[in-house]
Amino acid sequence: MKKRLLLILCLATTVFVNANDDKPLPEPCIWTGTMFEDFCDTCGCGGNGGSMGFGTGLNNNFIGLRYIGQKYRSRDGIFDNSPWINENFNTVQVWGKFPIRNRFLVNALVPYHVHNRRFTDNTEQEIKGIGDATLLAFYQVIAPTPDSIISIKPKHILQLGGGVKLPTGSFNEENLEGSINPSFQLGTGSLDYILAANYGLTHRNWGISALVNYTIKTENSVSYLFGNQWNLAVNSFKTYYLSDTWSFTPQLGLGAEYFDKNKEFGLIVNDTGGDVYFGRLGLEANYNRFALGVSGMLPIAQDLNNGKVEVKNRVMLYLNINI
Amino acid sequence: MKTIYKLLPAVFSLCLFMACNDDDNMEELSGEGTVKLTFDNSFGSDDLLLGTSSYTNSQNEVLTISRLNYIVSNFTLTNDMGETFTYPKDDSYFITSEETGETEISLTNVPAGRYVSVTFGIGVDQEKYLQGADGQGTFLAKAEETNMMWSWQAGYKFLNFEGTFTSPTVTEPTNFKIHMGSHGSSLDNYKEVTLNLGTEALVSDEMNPIIHMVADANAILDGTNKISLSEQAIIMVSEEKSPKVAANTASMFTVDHVHNGSGDTH
Repeated sequence: MKKRLLLILCLATTVFVNANDDKPLPEPCIWTGTMFEDFCDTCGCGGNGGSMGFGTGLNNNFIGLRYIGQKYRSRDGIFDNSPWINENFNTVQVWGKFPIRNRFLVNALVPYHVHNRRFTDNTEQEIKGIGDATLLAFYQVIAPTPDSIISIKPKHILQLGGGVKLPTGSFNEENLEGSINPSFQLGTGSLDYILAANYGLTHRNWGISALVNYTIKTENSVSYLFGNQWNLAVNSFKTYYLSDTWSFTPQLGLGAEYFDKNKEFGLIVNDTGGDVYFGRLGLEANYNRFALGVSGMLPIAQDLNNGKVEVKNRVMLYLNINI
Repeated sequence: MKTIYKLLPAVFSLCLFMACNDDDNMEELSGEGTVKLTFDNSFGSDDLLLGTSSYTNSQNEVLTISRLNYIVSNFTLTNDMGETFTYPKDDSYFITSEETGETEISLTNVPAGRYVSVTFGIGVDQEKYLQGADGQGTFLAKAEETNMMWSWQAGYKFLNFEGTFTSPTVTEPTNFKIHMGSHGSSLDNYKEVTLNLGTEALVSDEMNPIIHMVADANAILDGTNKISLSEQAIIMVSEEKSPKVAANTASMFTVDHVHNGSGDTH
């Protein structure tokens, strides 16, 4: 019963926080660590670039730091016996979610990338710098109403929104060398548009969240156009309350990413586009207003860049402060 | 719900903006540029590595290849309007060699356009050969340097393909030599091929495309015509076999991809 009360208190509190801009009173919240985890922009993500975007919570507002490590390998050449090149994408993001009036939310993230790869002749290439900043605004179509505290009915939440990805990261034509991963870039060099929807359902301390977003990319100044991209994810989670201040939320989920083929000068670029499906395991620990999360993603199936690029894994680590 | 309606115009204008954003790069191509053609040699779907790798063909012969040189010539490019540009004949003879790494040729001063196919010959045509030794320019010396001539009377080797092989019947590594050419003017093995680029190669003052081709050395013996090394490992002047080698060789080329751009990077 104590658990149930806490859960409801948590929901009620966050809704309350949303409804009133000036509210602190942080509580462990069941929604944390479940949304946007797999939001993956171009540059590093599966052959078309990445910085898995917005992280936690449907309903809590936070600012935090997140590290994303991605490992890829891509073929240096067009033949079956062409060597594989290992690529490491490292990203640190400042990210946050902020309420704007009643039913509006703004998500923002600014990534810093350090990517490196080692060629067969043992030379190493490293690129680092600010990546593409993303700004998303959501309207809460269904927001959990701060109803009776003893309610144990399932709660729904639905957010629809859109936004932009700004060309703050640099795009370097020279990194398109050979047939290797065209996403070895800090940014797409283009102003891209994002449409997004998030849905969540909680019942007691169980929950499911789902997200879909679509990134529409535009041609950059050197006439390169990354393919449009779908991200889909479903996560299930359960929150365990250890005390008034501590809670843990293990998560299990699936993700999918689809990429259209890239174009250069309006012509399709060979060996681009594709899809990848991930399994995801995560854990978020909450202590007072802090959320510490870790998660890993492993590909279940993939066909990226005509098999010329493979995702090996992704790991994430974040520390958020609820505001 | 009212706020949703407020949002709608924003969403619509976003969609509209994106819809209008298609293909704004159809500006005119003008001037002239360089078209590079890379002949990337393979054996089947594997990269061809001289000396170090062995390759098995469908006839159960295991080949270790030590040399793959061939002459490509008489380049013509066709654009999307069906117009052709024929490269000046005197400058249109090239030798590509896996040994020396000279596997890329450059066609300079190609008029601007969107090219969709390339036609070229394998070897030296009779017209050129009949111009006599003086008519060959520097190409004759180059052919001698790269083992692409028997003698002036016997003519050019269009293809020089050498290495060792083993097979169920030939268990010791045995040399093979496939030298294919026209043998003076009595036997004409010169062939031409036309390859679709699969996309457009864009040429202008700023744009110098690279056409990346694959030449599958396996096709030389194991193409449409099956030629057994176990039966005959040295094929040179053979009225029966060298036309078959010529036909196979003409079919070994494909375009893998075209890289459009300034031409500085692949």
